[in-house]
Amino acid sequence: MLVFVFLHRFVASDIQRRSDAWLAGEVEVLGDVAERTPKDALYDRVVGEVAELAGKEVPNRDPSESSSNDSVFFLQTSGDGALQLWVGAGNGEANLRAIRASRIVPDHPTDLDVRGFGVPFRVASIRIDDGSYIYLGLSERDELRVLRSLRLRFFLLWLLLVLFGFGIVFYTTRRMLSHVREITEAASRIGHSDLSARVPTTEQKDEVGNLARTLNRMLDRIENSMHQLHTITDSLAHDLRSPLTAIRGKLEMSLSTGSHGDQAEPIVSVIEELDRLTDFLNKSLDVAEAKADALRLTRIEVDLDELLRIMIDLYEPSMSEKGLRIRLQSGGPLRIEADAALIHRMIANLFDNELKHLPAACTVSLRLTVEDDCASLIVEDDGPGFDLEVFPHLFERRVKGRDSNGHGLGLAFVDAVARAHGGAVAASNRESGGARLAVTLPLFAISAGHGKASRKKTITSSLQS
Amino acid sequence: MRLLLVEDELDIQSFLKSSLEEAGYQVAAASDGKTAELLAVDGVFDILVVDLGLPDMDGISLILKLRQLGVRAPVLILSARRSVDDRVRGLEQGGDDYLTKPFALAELLARLRNLLKRNSPTGNEATKLRVLDLDLDLLRREATRSGEVLQLTSQEFVLLEYLCRNAGRVVTRSMILDKVWGMRIQPDTNVVDVHIYRLRGKVDGKGQQPLIRTLRGVGYVIKDR
Repeated sequence: MLVFVFLHRFVASDIQRRSDAWLAGEVEVLGDVAERTPKDALYDRVVGEVAELAGKEVPNRDPSESSSNDSVFFLQTSGDGALQLWVGAGNGEANLRAIRASRIVPDHPTDLDVRGFGVPFRVASIRIDDGSYIYLGLSERDELRVLRSLRLRFFLLWLLLVLFGFGIVFYTTRRMLSHVREITEAASRIGHSDLSARVPTTEQKDEVGNLARTLNRMLDRIENSMHQLHTITDSLAHDLRSPLTAIRGKLEMSLSTGSHGDQAEPIVSVIEELDRLTDFLNKSLDVAEAKADALRLTRIEVDLDELLRIMIDLYEPSMSEKGLRIRLQSGGPLRIEADAALIHRMIANLFDNELKHLPAACTVSLRLTVEDDCASLIVEDDGPGFDLEVFPHLFERRVKGRDSNGHGLGLAFVDAVARAHGGAVAASNRESGGARLAVTLPLFAISAGHGKASRKKTITSSLQS
Repeated sequence: MRLLLVEDELDIQSFLKSSLEEAGYQVAAASDGKTAELLAVDGVFDILVVDLGLPDMDGISLILKLRQLGVRAPVLILSARRSVDDRVRGLEQGGDDYLTKPFALAELLARLRNLLKRNSPTGNEATKLRVLDLDLDLLRREATRSGEVLQLTSQEFVLLEYLCRNAGRVVTRSMILDKVWGMRIQPDTNVVDVHIYRLRGKVDGKGQQPLIRTLRGVGYVIKDR
């Protein structure tokens, strides 16, 4: 744009300079002629002819224009300012009035507005020896026309450039964004546990290609460290499990062969301790892997409603033995895509938790609903609620209430499993007293998109004996 | 019953060998994949027990190789890995089974029996079970003791049926959870015990000889003699 402004100015001043030079030259010639021509009857004709000739040599003239020449005028005034000679369109009165109104200095071309003409004239003047003045005016119409066509061309060129540029930008942006979209889609597919996939790369050396390659290098490193973590946990598990297996087996054998009544009791309690140790080992490693988002999931369809009913069936006798009641509120089958073994253990952990911590005569209420493509399980009780001391660290390892005899992995494990499935766990104390745990699990694995079923009907079932 | 035991930990191998022999199996033991291959091709085995972590090859590769060589016997996989990977699950669907370490011997024996039973052609399912004076009618889902009908819930019947099918043999808590409730979980509460106590209360009435025995640290057994 700035370039255009400069160009326009330059062309405009050049045109003006040229027309000024022409005017100055012509007015001098005319002055010369007027001076030399004797003041007789032929004077008017001679000078008029010369003036008309000059008018035909106007610079920048549009050749298609009609022969009637209104772009140039010649005017001679006598020393007292009266019109002496006029060549041009009209009678020259308006021009004379305009010249009189403005002060025109000889040898300096000036702009002059004349009534009746749309565009101003450029006027040069000269004084000749007999005291009269000669004015030669050139309409700026041609000059303006040249500039107008220049502007028009420039505008068209500019428009073309803008359109072209827009097209290029549109095309390249679309191309780049489609690459970025591919990368995003691939990256989201990679998801939580499947780290073997890679984002698509192109051979191009542009920024997007670099981004894809960098992402893939990052994934390589993550997969590598994940693999190392798995190797460590696996070998740790292996190194501990093999001796545990041998110890447990030998104890069992000595239990079956040597049936000395007094020796059986300590052996049995050792076996029980070993089983607790094994359980602790399993849960610790699971929680450790889950905290690092490295749990390996094998997803199948799991009906949470059915699972909860089986769990209630399993836990109900133990609970009623302790004076606890358990209720389930569910809207019928609710299928999610999840790792069945982990979900089983997660629910068992929630039940174990209630069974271990609730005092007698309490009620555990389970509510299973669907909310925003997620299964929501709310576990509430009317017991003493969570210990405020441990509350902020509820989902961390080794955190347990004062009276707890567990190893403090239960809720950390629940949280870990929920997060590995893309869900979450929230804990709170109810206003009316008692603890509340809200577990949400996505209905479908991130990669799979299915329609969602609406479950409006709610069946309340009470499973208490 | 001829059994091939493939286990590289000599400690585990020796106690497994002696307890399997005690249970009546003829046991051949191998400590690595190569030896196991030679033994399996030479001899005819009814069942294989294979540890996944062998020094020279992966247990799964060994099983697949043996299958290619025409070994048809069922395989019980022992795994020290925590999570059972998909390949093991695949084998499990093909009729084999797995057990994670550490395990109860009773469970190992029970799973071996199951595998052998599954592969034997006598698929004639009994409709009645009898253990001493306890009778189970599997079609009518009814249990009677000395002619007296027991008032059992459907879940209690399933549990009693499982114990009776394994009469005289120990079943562990995790076996009960797996077979009766269909879950491989390890609750750190006594949920299974309470079910057994309740069942025992109904099966072993006053003045009757107790049938369901608890073997602490191991599991439960229903007496058959």
